[in-house]
Amino acid sequence: MLPKPDHLFAQLGWLPQLVNMLSWWQWAILAAVPPAIVLLYFLKLKRRPLEVPSTYLWHRSIEDLHVNAIWQRLRRNLLLFLQLLLIFLAMLALLRPGWRGAKVAGDRFILLVDNSASMQATDAGPSRLEEAKRQAGELVGQLSSRDAGMIISFSNFPQIEQMFTRNRRQLRQSLDAIEPTARPTSLAEALKYAAGLANPGRSSEDASDVQVADPMPATLYIFSDGKFAQVSEFRLGNLDPVYMPVGSDEAANVGILAFSVRRHVSDRTMLQAFARLGNFGPRDTSVAAELRLNGKLIDADQVQIPAGQTQRVAFDLTVVDTGMLQLRIATRDDLACDDVAWAVVNPPRRSKVLVVTPGNESLEIAFGTGAVRELADVTFGSPELLGQPPYEQQAAAGAYDLVVYDRARPKVMPQANTLFMGALPPGEGGEQAGEKPKEGAEEKPAEKDREGEEASPPGVWRAGLKITSAATIIDTNSTHPLMQWIDMGDVTLYQPTPLEVPPGGASLIDVQWIGADKASHVAPVFVIAPREGFEDAVMGFVFLGEEVTADGSTETFIGTNWPIRESFPVFVLNFVHYLGGTGTARDGATVKPGEPISLESPVPGAPLEVRTPGGQTIELKEARPGRFQFTGTSELGVYEVRSGENRVERFAVNLFDAPESDIRPSPDVQIGRGTPVAAQTASSETTRRELWKWLLLAGLAVLLVEWYVYNRRVYL
Amino acid sequence: MPETTALLPPALLARLERMELVSRKVFRGRMKGERRSRRKGQSVEFADFRNYVAGDDVRFIDWNTYARLDRLFLKLFLEEEDLHFYALIDASGSMDFGDPTKLYFAKQLAAALGYIGLARGDRVKIETLGQPPTRPAPVLRGRRSLWPMLDYLETIESPEAVSLVDGCKNFCLRNSGKGIVLLMSDLMDKTGYEAALRYLLAQEMDVYVIHVLSAEEMEPELQGDLELIDCEDGDKAEITVSAPLMKRYKRTLAAFIGSAREFCTRRGILYVLARNDVGVDTLVTGYLRERGLVR
Repeated sequence: MLPKPDHLFAQLGWLPQLVNMLSWWQWAILAAVPPAIVLLYFLKLKRRPLEVPSTYLWHRSIEDLHVNAIWQRLRRNLLLFLQLLLIFLAMLALLRPGWRGAKVAGDRFILLVDNSASMQATDAGPSRLEEAKRQAGELVGQLSSRDAGMIISFSNFPQIEQMFTRNRRQLRQSLDAIEPTARPTSLAEALKYAAGLANPGRSSEDASDVQVADPMPATLYIFSDGKFAQVSEFRLGNLDPVYMPVGSDEAANVGILAFSVRRHVSDRTMLQAFARLGNFGPRDTSVAAELRLNGKLIDADQVQIPAGQTQRVAFDLTVVDTGMLQLRIATRDDLACDDVAWAVVNPPRRSKVLVVTPGNESLEIAFGTGAVRELADVTFGSPELLGQPPYEQQAAAGAYDLVVYDRARPKVMPQANTLFMGALPPGEGGEQAGEKPKEGAEEKPAEKDREGEEASPPGVWRAGLKITSAATIIDTNSTHPLMQWIDMGDVTLYQPTPLEVPPGGASLIDVQWIGADKASHVAPVFVIAPREGFEDAVMGFVFLGEEVTADGSTETFIGTNWPIRESFPVFVLNFVHYLGGTGTARDGATVKPGEPISLESPVPGAPLEVRTPGGQTIELKEARPGRFQFTGTSELGVYEVRSGENRVERFAVNLFDAPESDIRPSPDVQIGRGTPVAAQTASSETTRRELWKWLLLAGLAVLLVEWYVYNRRVYL
Repeated sequence: MPETTALLPPALLARLERMELVSRKVFRGRMKGERRSRRKGQSVEFADFRNYVAGDDVRFIDWNTYARLDRLFLKLFLEEEDLHFYALIDASGSMDFGDPTKLYFAKQLAAALGYIGLARGDRVKIETLGQPPTRPAPVLRGRRSLWPMLDYLETIESPEAVSLVDGCKNFCLRNSGKGIVLLMSDLMDKTGYEAALRYLLAQEMDVYVIHVLSAEEMEPELQGDLELIDCEDGDKAEITVSAPLMKRYKRTLAAFIGSAREFCTRRGILYVLARNDVGVDTLVTGYLRERGLVR
């Protein structure tokens, strides 16, 4: 059976498609026009008779023209042809020829262009980003003058390059302006930007709220290699996503996924550099890894990496006091920006610890170990120190890294990490003032029902009633750095005070007890919580406390047996390591591109400057006394932090992102909970592109030429 | 000096007086003329002696020589004879075009050359191609025949419906004598001019062809869509004037003239192209003198 004609047309989609605009009799009249014109030309022959001596020569002159006289006559007549052409163009315009264009399902288009690190891969075009820009440019070229386009570039942070506009030139310019970045990819933020107009948020459930903008459906083109976390918590709504993958499946890449410098485990005077390399190509490969110190090659290694796997490399370094280590994969591959990584060896810096205590032998012993002495300078002071100006100035200027308050309480929190033992940090809410459960203080009635309690504001600590019954430690948060390798199984607590976990905080030790109501209760007694870039740890128990006995005399009691357990010195070491800020002192900080980094000034009040790998110098503004935030980490490489003429420290910005290094484009992307958006190789959405306007314009031009020819008697 | 009509202005006449017709061939004249002949004959001009043979006219014996040498010699004299000059005018319809018409131009030329002949005592006969046998053209001789010649020329009128070939053939049949024949025609005969010229050549005449074309034919100034009607046979040609067509016409015309000239030159016919807007005096005193018809 033959296919129906319309099926034929549907199969041959590239053929021009015609639309019948006229009924048959209108077509009949129109079809009669060209023959009529030709006929008029033959009838027109109002030749002027002219008597000549002889037609002898004339006949001989036009002899060969007579061979095909009719055709010759037409050939000679430019006017006739122009008129026929005009009619033909008019008829063609009436047929409304069109073809399947690239798109036009809606009239609004959002182009999301991925400019993350993986888009610098050179497997497609000059780079994937250029290829994406080219594809997007083609799409812009296919927009009609009614269509509005918007361009958003995204890495882990989206940027609106161009708001909705109908100006195609502007769209192209904005497209050209997209620069590659070395950042990882996250589509979620870009989608939020894109959805802003398509799915206006309902400000009210009330249907009569006229303020709610009309939703504006748009087609969302995502030019990317699809290497981003799946965005499942997103409702597309009026957005119609089209995923245009960029890059080839054959792309080969070996990337550095991690690189760091540590002290050698056995020989503390030596450093060890560790790196993890990943092969994301389709074939097993062998690459040369070169390690340079301050630009000088000091070591190299040949690393075999099976396809799709990672391989560790370790380099032993002799004594390196300070410097900049660079690891480079010498073998070329499609993505260059993950072939180099930096690590910084900063000069060692000891942290400063102040212990405010009325006297605590266990703490003195624990802070006096060799390991702690190597990390920190520990100063002891009595609680009377708190009220004196030297302490107040130093605390406010951030002279200490860590302050321990054993049964003491400052009026103002210092610019440092803190540990409170048997005391609560000074609250910012005045109503909290009376709640401090000073050891040996009189019991207060439970003023609140814990369940019905509202969430505490940040920075405000609350404590419950002292537990008088036997309390057992049932859980320690061993994932937290403070509690690593700490075994609390053999530790008992005497009358601990349960604490509340402030927002953002974490419980480190939980206890269980049987309350007065004969019910079992669980509550944290050791809590850590962030405070403006610092962290405060609060213990709900004391090591050595005083108690008012029934006869009115005070009596010293031992609050816990932890100090005599093996785990306690380890805890103190963890503690100085973690809260003392010495963890990063040796190997220098490394951050991912685009991530902020917190910097400290060695001299309180001195300004800091950061020198980027590109040679730019950026002056930092103090966020808090002695503390700086630096966000301009978009460039890969080593950044130098300077205070005046002195180099304070250096930190490195490395990609270290396996999804970015894995440059094989993903076949589909998951947006929302529906089916994944499959890759679309070309913009093949069917749509009609029409030509009649151009045909009419051409007809007008022909008419002008015809008029000129008629008036000027131009001959062929 | 006789008065003349418009055909021969007095100034021209004065110049023509001093000219004479030259024949490249030597012909036997019928009567004594003013032309010196290569034949020895009876004139006053001595040419040569020869031995007497029996039968010679004793009147020409040079008795003085006989007295001295005792031998008989005959005195020979140069013969003076006349020249036959025929002017053959094509008076077909196509000659009646142009300003002045080609026919008028031809008549003027015939008159001018005829007068030269008359003035030199030659035998002048002016005929048209369609000369009716019942009314033969007069044979003119002597300077006083100028008026009869001009009168006769006045009577020549176009059109005569006769083809070039027939006209020449009839002319040859009527006039068997030797001499100069001057054909004045536009040669635009659809059957061709070659056969006609061959008739004339066959008469062993000294043939001159004056190809008369009008300025309109040489450089037609036509425009638009035209239906050209041949004035002789009513044939039509439809043309739309365009630059290529005009180029093609000029090319055809040049080929036509070129082939006619070549045809004539190959056969010893003297071919002269004349335009009707160039004066007869220029033609006669210039071109024809250069070509050797007159001197």
